[in-house]
Formats: sequence, C-alpha cells, structure tokens
Amino acid sequence: MKARILFVSTFVCLLFAGCEYDNFDEPGAVLSGRVVYNGNPVGVRTNGTQLELWQTGYQLYTKISVHIAHDGTFSASVFDGQYKIVRLAGAPWEDQWGDTIMINVNGNTVVDVPVKPYFIVRNESFRMESGAVTARLTIEKIVEAAEIQSVNLYLGKSVLTDQNRHEKVAGLNLSDYTAGSEATITAEIPENMKNDAYVFARIGVRSTLSNEFYYTQVLKVNLK
Amino acid sequence: MNKYICISLFAVAAGLFAGCNEDGWLERTPKDRITDEQLWNDASMIMGLLANYYDRLPQLAGVFNTGTSAEFDDAMWSGHVDQNGRNDLTYGDSYGRYWDYTFIRDINLALENMEAYSVKITDAQKKQFGAELRFIRAYVYFELVKRMGGVPLITTQLIYSGGGDPVPLQVARARETEIYDFIYNEIQGIKENFNATEGSRTRANKYTALALQSRAMLYAASIAKYNSLMSAPISTPGGEVGIPSGKAPDYYKKSLEASKAIIANSEYELYNPGAGAKGENFYKLFMDKGAKEIIFAKDFATGKVHGFTYDNVVRSFRSDIEGSSMLTPSLSLVESFDYLDGSGGALRDKDSDGNYIPYENMEDIFAGKDARLYGTVVYAGSKFRSQSVDIQAGVAAWENGEYKFKVGNLGTTYEEDGKKLTGFDGPRDNDQYVSNTGFYIRKFVGEDPQNGVRPTLASNWWPWFRLGEIYLNAAEAALELGEEPEAKNYANTLREIHGGFPANSIANLSIDIIRNERRIELAFEDHRYFDLKRWRIADRVWNGQESDPNAVVHGLYPYRIYRPGHPDNGKYIFERVRPTRFKRARFFRSANYYSSIEQAVLNNNPKLVKNPFH
Repeated sequence: MKARILFVSTFVCLLFAGCEYDNFDEPGAVLSGRVVYNGNPVGVRTNGTQLELWQTGYQLYTKISVHIAHDGTFSASVFDGQYKIVRLAGAPWEDQWGDTIMINVNGNTVVDVPVKPYFIVRNESFRMESGAVTARLTIEKIVEAAEIQSVNLYLGKSVLTDQNRHEKVAGLNLSDYTAGSEATITAEIPENMKNDAYVFARIGVRSTLSNEFYYTQVLKVNLK
Repeated sequence: MNKYICISLFAVAAGLFAGCNEDGWLERTPKDRITDEQLWNDASMIMGLLANYYDRLPQLAGVFNTGTSAEFDDAMWSGHVDQNGRNDLTYGDSYGRYWDYTFIRDINLALENMEAYSVKITDAQKKQFGAELRFIRAYVYFELVKRMGGVPLITTQLIYSGGGDPVPLQVARARETEIYDFIYNEIQGIKENFNATEGSRTRANKYTALALQSRAMLYAASIAKYNSLMSAPISTPGGEVGIPSGKAPDYYKKSLEASKAIIANSEYELYNPGAGAKGENFYKLFMDKGAKEIIFAKDFATGKVHGFTYDNVVRSFRSDIEGSSMLTPSLSLVESFDYLDGSGGALRDKDSDGNYIPYENMEDIFAGKDARLYGTVVYAGSKFRSQSVDIQAGVAAWENGEYKFKVGNLGTTYEEDGKKLTGFDGPRDNDQYVSNTGFYIRKFVGEDPQNGVRPTLASNWWPWFRLGEIYLNAAEAALELGEEPEAKNYANTLREIHGGFPANSIANLSIDIIRNERRIELAFEDHRYFDLKRWRIADRVWNGQESDPNAVVHGLYPYRIYRPGHPDNGKYIFERVRPTRFKRARFFRSANYYSSIEQAVLNNNPKLVKNPFH
C-alpha cells in the first residue's frame, strides 16, 4: 500500500516537472503608449479600434493586434526587436495605410502614436443640475473633408461608456451648429441611476467618413 | 564445388534481369482507381462527380444551418448554453470569410479534362455537363464576390512549372464588377446549352442559370447604387471593392430581364394549391417536393438527411433531450408581418395609455396578420402537427393595483387556482432547449414526428432559388428602374398569393416596403445578411444599440391573468421582454462589409490587395 502511494505521488510529481527544452521564454518586453493628437490622448470605444504590430524576418508572418483602451492607451507584451505599427482604417482618425511607424522595442518601451482625428472635442465640461447632466463643449474640425454626422453625450454606470455601452444618450441638434462654436447638450439622468452617487459622462463625435466616434476622456460626475 | 555455386548464382542473377515480356501482365487496368479516360467517357460517372460538386455549393446560413442563422437572422439561439456565443457575438474581421479555390480548381480541372479525354460521350452530353460545371463555378464566384469583393478570377488550372518561381501562379484580384460581369457572361454562354435537365429542380438548367443572374445582377446593381450613397463609400483604389454608381441601371436591367423570363415560363408558379389556409400553404411550399415554385433545390432523401427538424422542433414535441427550440424567431420579425387590413405589423399589446390589452385567446393578438407569419413562426395559441402548442410564460396576478408576473418550471400549475402556470413549451427566460423569445420556427420544420428522431431525421429539401424570391427581385429591379406600376404588380401578386392580402394591397411602393417583404418572405433562407450588406444598411440595422429591437432580439411572453372577480380574469396579456441569454447587441462595422483575406493567403500572393479596414 505504502509503495503504491509512493509510486502514485512520484508520478504526480513528475507531471509537474515539465521539460526544459520544449518551452519558449515568454515575451519579456512591454510595448505601451498612447494614441495622441497634439500630445493629447484620443478616446475610443472599448474593444473597438486597434493598432497592428508587424515584425518581419520570421517564418510566421502575421499581425499582432493591439486593442486600444477607452482612454487611448495600449500595451502589448512582445519580444525585443524591430516592429512596424500600422494605424488601421475604421477608426475615428484618418487612415494612414502604407504609412507605418518603425519602432525598436528594447525592454519596456513607451511610444506615442500620433493620429489625425476627423474631429476633436475641446473645452468640455459637465454640470449636474436638476436631474440632468449638461455638457458644454466645442468641436474642432481637423480633417477638412469631414462633416459631422453626430455628436452625443453619453451617461453610463462604468468607465466603459460609449456608443455601444451606455445608460443614456443625448444628441446635439446639428442643424444650427457649426464646428468651432460652443454647444450644449443636456441628458436626463435615467430612472435606474437616479439614486446613484455618480455617473460617468463622455462626449463622442462621429464624422461622415468613419463609423467610429472620437471620444473625450471619461469623467465622473457626482450626482450628490 | 565453388565453381558450380558461382555458375548457378550467376544464372539466377541473370534470370533476375530478364524480366517478363508480356505487357498485358504488367499494364493492367487498376481495380482500385478510376482513370481520367474512364471517368470522362462514362456519363453516369460524370453525374456522380457532378453530384459531389452540387453537394459542395457554398452557403453561409443556408442548407439548414441552424447555428449560423441564429447569428444574424431574425432569431436568437435558445439551444444548449455552451453555444450561447451566438447570442454574444462580435462580428470579427474574418466573419463570413470564404476562399474556396480548391473547389474552383476542381471545377476548372473537370472542364479541362472533359475537353481532353471525352470521346465516347455525345456532344450534347458534353454541352450539358459543361454548362452544369460552369453554372456551379459561376455560383461559387458569386459566393466569393458577395463575401470578399473582387477575387482572383481563375478559369483554368494553374500549373507549377517546377522552376522555383511562383510568380505565374500569383494572380491579382479582379475588380468587383469584373466578377459580376464574369457571372453574367458565363450565364449568357451556357443558358442555351442545357439540353437534358429541363424541368429539373435539383440539377441546373436554363432557368436555374437565369435565377442566378436575377439574384447576382441585383446584388451588383444595389452595391453600385447604395455604396456610392454612403457618406464614406467602401472602395479600394483598384476597384477590387466597390462598383461605380453609373453601372447600376445596366445591372438592374440584366436582373429584371432574367426575372421576367422565369416568371413568364409556365414551368414555374407561385405555390397556390387553392384549397387550405394560406399560412398552411406557405409552410407546405417548402415541404412539398412537387411545388412548382421551387426553381433549384438541394435534395435530401433517406440516407442523406438533415437535422433541422431535430434542432428546432417545438419543445414539447422533441424526441430526445438534446434537440429542440434552438433557433427562436424574434419579436421584431413577427412585428414586421403587416396586418391584412393594411395596418402596420406592430402587435397591439398595450393601449395608448400603456395599459395591457387583454385577449380572450392567445392567438387573437396575431389574428388578421399576413398568412406568412403562420407559415414561418409557431406562436402562442397556434397549432403544430395538428396539436395546440403549450406556450404560456406564466400568470399575471393582480396585486396592489398592478400585475405581478409569476413563472414556474415547464408544465407547472398555479397554486392559487390550480390552473396552468407555465406551459410545456415555455417560454422561459434564461433556460435552454426552450424558446427564450416566445416563438418557435415553423418554416422547414417537419410535420412528421419521425423527422425529429435521430438518426432517421428529415429529408425535406433546401431551396436555393424559388419563384417568390424572383418576384421580389423583379419588383426591386423594376422599382429602381423607375417602373413603379410593374414593380407594384410583382409585389402585390406575391402578397396576395402567399400572404393572403387582397389584390393590389400596396398603393405606393417604396424600397422600404420591398426590403420588409424580403425580410418576411425570405426569412431563414440565407438572404438577410447579404441583403442588408448590399443595401449598405447593415451597419444601421445592427447598430450595436441596446435600445434597438433589431440589434437586440426581443421576445413576447403571454401571461394568463389571475384576477378573481374581474372581467379580465382568465384572459391573456402580453409582455415584451429582452431575453437574458441575448448578451450583446448586434454590431456590424464598416469592416464587416467585406471579410478580411486570411494572412496566409496574402503572404503567399503579394499581389493581393487587402480589403478596406483590414
């Protein structure tokens, strides 16, 4: 009996042993950074836009997709080496295909990826007043060919608030708005959030040239 | 002694080199394989090969594909929870990808070999087989262009020279228009060549080819028109994706011309047995293999069966615990069926003050609807296999001035009055193998109980093309060409015969009405995804908005009123629900209009241009 226990436990221990030769090292370097315009991070939809990393010189040639977080930051664990960053179309900024950014990753590397959004939002402020959040903002046109398709104020329960995840959305009447002037959007606090201590608020602007919104950073607005 | 051994060894060795002189012994016909000469000189073997090719015709949610239908058609997945990903889907960049050049090569090879080896079959047979092969190839190219845009147009075998240079094998993508033009030209080239399949429903003939023309040219035309109407048209500089808007009228004309030719042929008729209820007839259209409406179908028979009835039969009619209720239609589909009196399809569950409208019988809320609703969906109070279905979500008990909804397990009774609480067919929220929307699918689901029993299963056929679609193709093309009276005539005829509407039920036809007609007439027939794509409205219909009933599948749950002493006691009210199992609003991005090409394919062929947004 004892021998059997010994035998079984030896066998179990062996299962944990593993072989040294067939294991690769895990990637040691972290490439991180932000997507920026004029030095300011560009907010995006969570799980929406991504960058592509490419590395040549190996048999397997395939992209490493790097998702951009809602606040415009990204990070990826990679091996040291030279990479290309590609800014894909389908984002709230002008696509730059063929215009790749070369980077050298050596240990932990931080890069800011410059992009050119179609529109940006400036001077945004949120105020809580009689059961509604009022946002003041100014839209600035960056790409001449773009037109505004919609401007929205989003209220949500978490920092992940955007066009697809929100509790309340209110749009700006575009008929009497021209880019560059100040605008006001008011959104009522929905019934299910009336008793919350705070909401997260965010403004998004979508151009006619893309189906993704440019977002401001998420702000926490206290309700009480 | 040694000498003798040497000599005899020498003799044996010499014998080894002698060999046999008789060719006949060495060069015998192999018994385990079929040579090209045999195959291409034997009509029945060629038919065997064609059967294989017909079987491989591509689909995305067609041919009884329950799972994929649940991903974008007007339904949600109510089957096993381990496949709930279908209700929680992000359409990835590769969603809908199709790149079957193995099949294209097989067809090209067959066409070339038939030219090279066939001597014993007649020219007429050769023409017939060649036309069938080219029809299948055109169909495969249509599937490719629908999903990927312009693809490399390869019509001959590509043969590697062995010199280490792959460049001659690397073919660039054709423009999207070139693929559609290829399909059109192929059809013109083959349509008079069919001489043995007239009237066949399962092998291609002239009218099958015209049906493909009707559909493909309509797709090309609507992409030409609606892509350029987008605020940011989807195109590539080389035209691999995107069709210039100027080409739209020509494509619409080509589509209409084919549709008219099919409609004019008396071999094909809208299914209209005369007797029997319209809804029942619409259901039978798919089950009756004698229906003259079907133009081209994939047939099934004993030994070659499918599990659609097993997958989707109403819960209490199931034959074992793993199959039933998987694909459950959405409320918004049910509401897109108009009322026969001409009013819109929204169900009257509440009055203008927001109070529930009580109904004596559950089916009353659906009364007076387009008959195709009955033929497509099993709803509360309707019959299935001549028995009433047992759909009831629970009891609405009147407490403190409002209704409180009580639900139980399937087939339970309400303690207060000893009557039914929840029916054997649900619906039950957040449960599996029972409808989560309150509806079941009737279309394609067999009336015969044996159809739902493993392993015999069902053998009703899959309609690739039917006349109902051709009528709608004709209506759409005619309307886009500005011939409204003609367009209205097609749409109204179809509504009258299939839907049970009075004659001329549409007074003013619009593209939105035609889009809605396609949604209901062709539900679950592998059209919805491609229709929304070609009209370039998929990103607006599946907009990712939680509040949108088309992006989020909703349900309608019937409750029995428990309110003793009140006149409404025992009647039924209906509650709109958002099923818990439906996790994520459908969200179609610009990147999904054309699927991404696999990286390995791009690596092998540097001439390929990527699709936009990938």
